Amino acid sequence: MVEIEKLKQELKDLNAKAAGIRDLPVEQRAEFGRKINLERQDLLGKIAAAEKALLDVEVQPIDVTAWSGVNEKMPEFYTTEMGTCHPLMAEMDRVVEIYQLMGFDVMESRQLDDEYHMFDTLNFPKEHPARDGYDTFRTEEGLIPPAHTSTMQHRVLKKYRKQLEERGRLAVVVPGRVFRNEDVDATHEHTFYQCEGVYVSQDCSMGQMLGILREFFEKYYEQKLNIRTQPGYFPFTEPSLEFMIEKPESLGGKKGDYLEMLGCGMIHPNVLKQAGIDPEKYHGFAWGGGIDRLVMLRYGLNDVRMFESGNLNFLREF
Amino acid sequence: MKISLNWLKKYVEVPVSDDELIRLIGSRLVEVEGVIDETHKYDNIYIVRVERAERIPDTHLTLCQINVGDRLVQVVCGAPNVREGMLAVWIAPGAVVPASVHEDVPFVIGKRKMQGYESCGMLAGADELDFGDDHSGIVEIDPDVAAPGDLLADVFELSDLVLEIENKSLTHRPDCFGIIGFAREVAGILGARFNEPNFSSSGLGLSKMSYAGTRAEPSLRDEPVRSGRNIHFQKSKSYYDSENLGSLNIDIKDPSICQRYTAIILEKHGEMKKKYLTWMDTVLSKSGMRPVDRIVDATNYLMLLTGQPLHAFDYDKFVTVGGGDEVEIKVRLARAGEKLTLLDDKEIELNENDIVICSGEVPVALAGAMGGKSTEVDKNTRNIILESATFSLYNLRKTQMAHGIFSEAITRFTKGQPPYQTLAVAEACAEMLADGFRIAAVVDEYPMKAPEVVVKITTSEVNDLLGAEYSKDLIATTLTNVGFGVTIKSERGSKASTESGAEVLEISAPEWRTDIHIKEDIIEEVGRLLGYDNIKPVLPLHGTASRNEMFEFKHEIRDLTSRWGANEVLTYSFVSGRLLAKAGQDTDNSYRIVNSISPELQYVRQSIVPSLLEKAYMNQKLPVDKFAIFEMNKVYRKEWGMNEENVPVEGTRIGCVLAERKNTETAYYKAKKYASELLKSLNVEAEFVPLSHAEIAEAKMFEPKRSAEVLVKGEYVGVVGEFKNSVRSEFKLLPYLAGFELDLDKLLRLRGNEKKIDLREKEKRDLTIETNDTYAELVEKIESVLKDVGAAAEIMPIGIYQPDGSKKKKVSVHLEFAQMTDDVMEKLEKL
Repeated sequence: MVEIEKLKQELKDLNAKAAGIRDLPVEQRAEFGRKINLERQDLLGKIAAAEKALLDVEVQPIDVTAWSGVNEKMPEFYTTEMGTCHPLMAEMDRVVEIYQLMGFDVMESRQLDDEYHMFDTLNFPKEHPARDGYDTFRTEEGLIPPAHTSTMQHRVLKKYRKQLEERGRLAVVVPGRVFRNEDVDATHEHTFYQCEGVYVSQDCSMGQMLGILREFFEKYYEQKLNIRTQPGYFPFTEPSLEFMIEKPESLGGKKGDYLEMLGCGMIHPNVLKQAGIDPEKYHGFAWGGGIDRLVMLRYGLNDVRMFESGNLNFLREF
Repeated sequence: MKISLNWLKKYVEVPVSDDELIRLIGSRLVEVEGVIDETHKYDNIYIVRVERAERIPDTHLTLCQINVGDRLVQVVCGAPNVREGMLAVWIAPGAVVPASVHEDVPFVIGKRKMQGYESCGMLAGADELDFGDDHSGIVEIDPDVAAPGDLLADVFELSDLVLEIENKSLTHRPDCFGIIGFAREVAGILGARFNEPNFSSSGLGLSKMSYAGTRAEPSLRDEPVRSGRNIHFQKSKSYYDSENLGSLNIDIKDPSICQRYTAIILEKHGEMKKKYLTWMDTVLSKSGMRPVDRIVDATNYLMLLTGQPLHAFDYDKFVTVGGGDEVEIKVRLARAGEKLTLLDDKEIELNENDIVICSGEVPVALAGAMGGKSTEVDKNTRNIILESATFSLYNLRKTQMAHGIFSEAITRFTKGQPPYQTLAVAEACAEMLADGFRIAAVVDEYPMKAPEVVVKITTSEVNDLLGAEYSKDLIATTLTNVGFGVTIKSERGSKASTESGAEVLEISAPEWRTDIHIKEDIIEEVGRLLGYDNIKPVLPLHGTASRNEMFEFKHEIRDLTSRWGANEVLTYSFVSGRLLAKAGQDTDNSYRIVNSISPELQYVRQSIVPSLLEKAYMNQKLPVDKFAIFEMNKVYRKEWGMNEENVPVEGTRIGCVLAERKNTETAYYKAKKYASELLKSLNVEAEFVPLSHAEIAEAKMFEPKRSAEVLVKGEYVGVVGEFKNSVRSEFKLLPYLAGFELDLDKLLRLRGNEKKIDLREKEKRDLTIETNDTYAELVEKIESVLKDVGAAAEIMPIGIYQPDGSKKKKVSVHLEFAQMTDDVMEKLEKL
């Protein structure tokens, strides 16, 4: 308090001093004015800071070891009806659970990674134009908030290599948040969720991959589904495919209405090799797909931006 | 990329319906993003002959009697080039102007009066027909190709479907960026052998080329002339035949930036044929390009056909710029500081990654991207240099990004066009211009030819990976249909030779398939061409999954907290510098995104709560009267450094903020209840003590006088409390506001293994004590008494009451005794 009074007095004095500019010879006025102005800015800054600090000075302390305020009721939780889980997180739990029932371990994805995991270990040649397709963000240090959960593939393969040798099989799903530098609209978000799957064994085939994916979608949407594929291109799988399901009638689909759900393919031998797995002995398949789209279809939502909006009018519906 | 089905069908016989063809392309070649239906775009549009044309006095209009095949019709035409005897295109009354078919309200032509004369329909210009932007006059039709009354759509095959192809899924297939390559795949998908067309007529026989103009002019309405065969020079080869033009020298500084460079000098020997509307104009338009002039159109057409981009320089300008009197083409990397003015008049500053084409030492074109202004072909051009070359996709990719050039040509080059056809395509181009130009010189510089790729694979390797049962013959046919060479060898002496099916397929990739290297590439071809959808889905046997503790931990927390009325939210991982400052966090401690979408998303966040405070403000404004929002997510701080993988250490946090519009009680205690009950339910034994770690990033925004830090086994795991008034006012939030942030990694590590279950009968008592102690101090005193008398009890708070005017508080607690002594209550009441 005293501090602020003092500063305000100083400002008053300074203003009085400034009035004296008229008594100075013309050639000195500019320099004088400049000096006064600097001092004034400095003082105003100090006063603002002091006033802000004052906000925090006048605070009444409380007994933080107690469980209620003096003469106040014991605090209570809000009612259960008010509470909700985020739809993306609740659905991600379901997605993961279905894969767990099929024997897949879970490993969560990182949210800040590097070029090595995002591209190098996934058989993207250095400087290859395919790297541009991912519209990645970058930090000053060259780190990358991953644009796909495949950024974890190399880690999965290395971590489970031993299990692969012991049990002849490796099966892991990787849920996580990913980032793309693109304009946001009703169907595009720069921040969204994906779930990756990685499966390696000595005798695995594309038929098995299609089997697992069909099983997953049928369990998730709780009905029989028609599936279809189309060729795709990813440097880290060979062959590469896009996996589609026919939009179920119960979710507003009609015959022949196919939706792209994820990208998948047989893991490229270079990716296995780089993780220390012998591609002559083992083969694998992997897939990755957006969770946001999956959930939007399930609930008939049409604006992906609502997920990260924090808007309780939306979230309390779930 | 746009693919006209009519054009495609010139190269491949399609025995199935269009719908089925499109479905097959979608499921076995590439994603078809859309289909533009042009089957009725040119309905009721006819070829007509202008029989009489009389100028209407004092106007620019001409009154025409046109022969529409079976009768004469009167049309008023405003075009300057209308004349008697010409064949023109007539849009009949009731027809839609083709350029307007995709507009909201398509323009329908009618009968109307102009200057008192009835005009029935209209004679169309190229722009109205959607064949380019030319509005200078009406189009004229070659009388050799059509007669009055013919439907325009029949003459030029305009009843068509045009596929819109998603380029991304062909990133590795440069060969499919031309109609021929696309058609080859379609043949393969249909199970038919592809007949390689020869778009170049000359082949090795350069001497047969029509440089004297004696050859018949190629008819552009028909397919490109087919004869001869493609040629490949392994080394530089040249050919000259001109008395007027000097020699040509090509100097590739580094074969890794330019694998092959073919140049043909064309010498003007006559005026080019008058421009009728041609079939080529229509395919250029359907493919998304615009007809411009004969030279540009020929280069564009061949690029669309073969995938090989071409460029034309003005020969005389090229020589002048270089300062010599002969053509010296140099292909090199640009030097820093060099500048180049491009065809679009923009001057760009070149960087050391850009490949430039130089005349002598002077850059005249940005290789693969765009030609330069100084050598632009214009209407005074006498002689031209045709360039047909390939360049490093890596360099061009950077050039594309650095200069923002996204042309059809660079799109193809950045897929890595193979070098095998540069000469053939250049020759085809020369031939298309043969009525105006003859070949003066051909030089082909091909310093480094890639070796042929041969892959050995067995039938079972193909079938095992796909989960299919394709026969050796089917596999071989499938591959040879699209140009692979297949030899079947039985490997004697090999381990597998005793088994049946030990035959090895030795597969050589055609020279346009730069993407074939390993067995899996071959398996992809077989699986794709035969249809992945024909593979039977099966489920492998599986084992049991292991638990992921953190994932389950979060699931448990989500479950509990939402059951207690809180709402889970998700907020962005990237925040603004302003938000960090509001929360008292140092921007230097955050990883900064250099290519952020906006300043709002510039820093990787250090903690969760600041994002929640922003959302609290938004919700309070909605308005939502009361809420507790929480989020579990990852945070990063530079001060945490790198982990053993040399990527930043990450933290998993839960943040929670609760706010109400009207409550006047102390928000801290509600936040503490959420935090403490959560910890208790998770089997984490925690203490809440006055905040002493105020310097930690997430604690900086909390008011130390009204916040506690949470300790587990003496270790700091987070903070709970109210926010500084200064922070609250920055976020414009109402007074009832509190929150917490806890470190989930630590909680998971520190949580107890098992829940204690105590089934003993308990004596229950309430106790009220008048005191000035804090609650913790009081509890300590109670515990000390219990210890002294040998009793044990759980102490639970009931409330704190301070009557008006009283100096002391009355603190009530509830005691549940597991072990009680006779004197314990008496002693406690004396406290």
